[in-house]
Amino acid sequence: MIRHLAGKVGGALVSLLFVVALGFLLFRVIPGDPVVAMTRGRPVTGDQLAELRARLGVDKPLTEQFVDYLAAAVRGDFGTSYVYSRPVLELIGERLWPTVLLTGTSTVLAVVIGLWLGIRGAWRRGSRSDRISTGLALAQWAMPTFWLGMLLSLATGDLFPSGGMRYPDTPPDFLSQAVDVAHHMVLPCLTMIAVVYAQYLLVMRSSLLEEMHADYLTTARAKGLRDDLVRRRHAVPNALLPTVTLVFLHLGLVVSGAITVETVFSWPGLGLLTYEALTGPDLPLLQGTFVVLAGAVITMNVVADLLYRVLDPRVRAS
Amino acid sequence: MNGLLELRDLSVHYRTARGEVTAVRSVSLGLDAGQTLGLAGESGCGKSTVAMSVLRLLPRDARVEGQVLLDGEDVRGMSWGRLRAVRWAAASVVFQGAMHALNPVHRVGEQIAEPMRLHGVTGSVSALLDQVELPSRAARAYPHELSGGQKQRVMIAMALACEPRLVIADEPTTALDVVVQAQVLDVLKRLVSERGIGLVMISHDLSVLASTCDRLAVMRHGQVVEEGPAREVITSPAHPHTQALAAAFPTVGDPASRQVTPSEGADGPVLLRASDVHVSFGATRAVAGVDLEVRAGEIVALVGQSGSGKTTLARTLLGLQKPTAGRVLFEGRELPRSASGLRAYRRQVQLVLQDPTSALNPRHSVYEAVAEGLRIHRVDGDESARVAEALSQAELRPPELFFPSLPHELSGGQRQRVVIAGALALGPRLLVADEPVASLDASVRGEILALLLRLRRELGLAALVITHDLGLAWTIADRVAVMYRGELVEQGTVEQVLLSPRHDYTRTLLAAVPHDQRSTRPNWTNSP
Amino acid sequence: MTAIAWQRRRAAARATWREFASQRGGLVGLIGLAVITVLAVLAPLVTDASGLDVTRVTARPWEPPSASHWLGTDHNGRSVLLLTWWGTRISLVVGLAATVLSVLIGTVVGIAAAHFGGWVSAVLMRFTDFFLVLPSLVLAIALSTVLPRGLGTIVLAIGVTSWPATARLVRAQTLAVEARPFIERARALGGGHGHVIGRHVLPAVLPLVFVNTTLTVASAIVAESTLSFLGLGDPTRVSWGSLLHAANMHGAVSQRAWWFLVPPGLGVVCVVLAFTLCGRALETVLNPRLKGER
Repeated sequence: MIRHLAGKVGGALVSLLFVVALGFLLFRVIPGDPVVAMTRGRPVTGDQLAELRARLGVDKPLTEQFVDYLAAAVRGDFGTSYVYSRPVLELIGERLWPTVLLTGTSTVLAVVIGLWLGIRGAWRRGSRSDRISTGLALAQWAMPTFWLGMLLSLATGDLFPSGGMRYPDTPPDFLSQAVDVAHHMVLPCLTMIAVVYAQYLLVMRSSLLEEMHADYLTTARAKGLRDDLVRRRHAVPNALLPTVTLVFLHLGLVVSGAITVETVFSWPGLGLLTYEALTGPDLPLLQGTFVVLAGAVITMNVVADLLYRVLDPRVRAS
Repeated sequence: MNGLLELRDLSVHYRTARGEVTAVRSVSLGLDAGQTLGLAGESGCGKSTVAMSVLRLLPRDARVEGQVLLDGEDVRGMSWGRLRAVRWAAASVVFQGAMHALNPVHRVGEQIAEPMRLHGVTGSVSALLDQVELPSRAARAYPHELSGGQKQRVMIAMALACEPRLVIADEPTTALDVVVQAQVLDVLKRLVSERGIGLVMISHDLSVLASTCDRLAVMRHGQVVEEGPAREVITSPAHPHTQALAAAFPTVGDPASRQVTPSEGADGPVLLRASDVHVSFGATRAVAGVDLEVRAGEIVALVGQSGSGKTTLARTLLGLQKPTAGRVLFEGRELPRSASGLRAYRRQVQLVLQDPTSALNPRHSVYEAVAEGLRIHRVDGDESARVAEALSQAELRPPELFFPSLPHELSGGQRQRVVIAGALALGPRLLVADEPVASLDASVRGEILALLLRLRRELGLAALVITHDLGLAWTIADRVAVMYRGELVEQGTVEQVLLSPRHDYTRTLLAAVPHDQRSTRPNWTNSP
Repeated sequence: MTAIAWQRRRAAARATWREFASQRGGLVGLIGLAVITVLAVLAPLVTDASGLDVTRVTARPWEPPSASHWLGTDHNGRSVLLLTWWGTRISLVVGLAATVLSVLIGTVVGIAAAHFGGWVSAVLMRFTDFFLVLPSLVLAIALSTVLPRGLGTIVLAIGVTSWPATARLVRAQTLAVEARPFIERARALGGGHGHVIGRHVLPAVLPLVFVNTTLTVASAIVAESTLSFLGLGDPTRVSWGSLLHAANMHGAVSQRAWWFLVPPGLGVVCVVLAFTLCGRALETVLNPRLKGER
């Protein structure tokens, strides 16, 4: 167990290093001259370009840049934003919590709704309710997240605030602030749930369908168990395990959803920050959000893997 | 009479896309408490359907006719509540393949206790485990942490949990090794006699049933073709199907089932020689120093339990696995290492696998399967003539009729013949056959073995037959090599090794073979 | 002998088609796709492309649907119907091209990772797993930001970020096939890598790849619309994503201009749903394990 843990954490650290290196490749090597990419379409003088190059440190040879970059990244220094003129890490730190709040709430709700509907659908497969919920899930899965967000915002009119996280004139006490944030969060949260739960529903449903023919269910029925007990005690726990892994594998999807949803609803999180960075384009900032978002997903996957070990006795032993 | 279980005129039909298929046809059987009834037959003969109908566990698309009387009460007429109460409390099942019949995410102790809680029976899990000779700490284990034999014992303990009067055991030992099989059968026999339970035992292996059951019923195509006291059915089978089944499980030492005359495996030149071959996978030593010879025109049986390293040895002899140390010589020359050299070697030595169903690509026709080797080796000449010749050598005649068939359209025996034909097409000198009949139905085993013997006689083809089945070795081999934990513990002529074994392990193997009453036991049975 | 093989293949294709056609969802999807494809191909023949040019518009901006403009006009006064119609072409082309790229990479990596074993497989697996957990949209955004804007960039960005799922699937299937004894038999007959992959692995993996392709097109089209919505698309061409980008930028929501918002999104939903339905129906036909379910 300890060895496995060490192996997993070690693997994750290698992956994180890869992400950091990929960040360098993407934002320093591929663009050729990042400064040209950043100032594309704007009138700039040669002096300004040189000054910018020196500020970003891109006037040195690539290998030297890479070493500097790595050393800085390990210290948590991702340079200074070109648009905001503030340290990238500071900006990310400010924007982290709104994103955690939004994605956390909607993922938990989406998982609960998705798994519940998936179990119901598989157990009564082919029934009207199964056909409706599966069809609806497929249709929602086909929708671009941001479009659904815009439609919701169009349809609800002035019922909910269409942007931001809180009104400036809300009293500063905790309760009013919380209610205000919750009020702002309704639409973005709904949008994210609507798109994400479908994935969980479909995964849970097919996973349970696969278990339905398992021999141990016949054993359970032969013991005299009622149908709902056969399902609850025997089928669902087995079907849940592969679903857990997939839930975490699809976290990348949640991150994608966060970027577009935050863009549509001006939710001041990492997604919106990414959008602001790419419109610049503010390469140091984009690099920072890239590394942080990718790193977060990798970390969550390690957590998922360890969680899976605790849940599934088969994996625990080996 | 027939108080415990009585089947009256039971028929079961399955609704399928192609209309109704009858799986069981007017079966009438009875069983008293303390009795054991064996139900024998090949796969698909309907024996498992009979078992499942007793507790109404058949899938929804099954239609049942007739009566299933459990203690005089018709199971078919019970309400769901009554049925649930009867299940496991009055009759329980030891399912086929304990690996899948146990829930992988619950501890086995919980699974044994579950029906006790459900039916309000008091009892202790550790006492049940004790009865099947498992330590009580086994209760805390998950199924995958137990060996096949241990899981089967857990299934038996679970079946006894509510002290039912009837236990139905569906192929309880099929996936197990001979030695473990003997242990599990002993446990079952002991429990029946101690507790006065009625036992219905289902198996394809007559020798297993013969050693456990009082009465035997033989099924074929959904019907009971013969029924009577076990001894009578085995010693003087009346129905031709029973005769074929009985012949498929020969008794070691019975001269009637030995099909080789000692002079046949003449002293040909040595074809294949392994000298001091070692194969290790990391720390595990699969093969640990094996010396083995196969002479031209000779049939050698390599015998051992699963995990003894016999399949790894075979793969090494074929050049599919590189030995860690030691040498393999074919006609005195070491096996080539280069890809093209190995390819040329493969024309001399060919492989026949255990399960012909999975050994043939389901998408390839018989013609393509047989021609595959010819195409790989770019053999000149008339391809279809060669394919036809190989098929007729494997007794698939007329060969042209089989050309377009796909594997799933053939019977198990025919598929194995296609695999053999594919090997023969290259004109090899030696066949390595890994459990060539283990997955075949009893009645076609004899035919495939006869084919191997005929090929030896007519083409001078040598064979190394790998098997766990001592009866098979007795039937067709000239010499036997016994493998145990990666080493050959004993080798010699069949008569030497099987009739007067020198090594303890060989004696253990021989003692584990289920015995019926056909032959007097040879002198080794009183040894450990 | 090949005649027999071809006859059999034709019969198998017919049987597959019959089974496919018996599933309503798949058939609906296929018909939908056919209609959309025909519309996309016919666009230059039936409509006047000059209506896309902002300098030559006559109508007023933000005009609601009327007899002259069935779906109203956008912020420049162009017909939303015409824009959506033409948007079909770019969305389909990008979706298909990105899918081809993605499936190609995925299949090659997947088969190689499963077949060769040893360190090649270990490295490829690690590589695949790394890209699998990486949020693909974030990577695609990064790529399309640093590369010059254009169709090629967006195809590349989607293609090189969406292959890991295919690779994983193909790897699993290849491993399953290679564990079957008939591979051992082929090796014992003397078959090398080429023979095993060409004659046994590929034919067994391709149906799955085909199913996966239809499903990948669906997600590639969503990805295209997302990237374009974020303003990373080809600025010179009209796609559904770029229309929605324009709608968002120019405040279609606050203008309550539902006619500008709904059609491009609905286009995405229809195409994606059609591909998904086809893919799921195909999966049921080609994957015998799923038969009788769903």
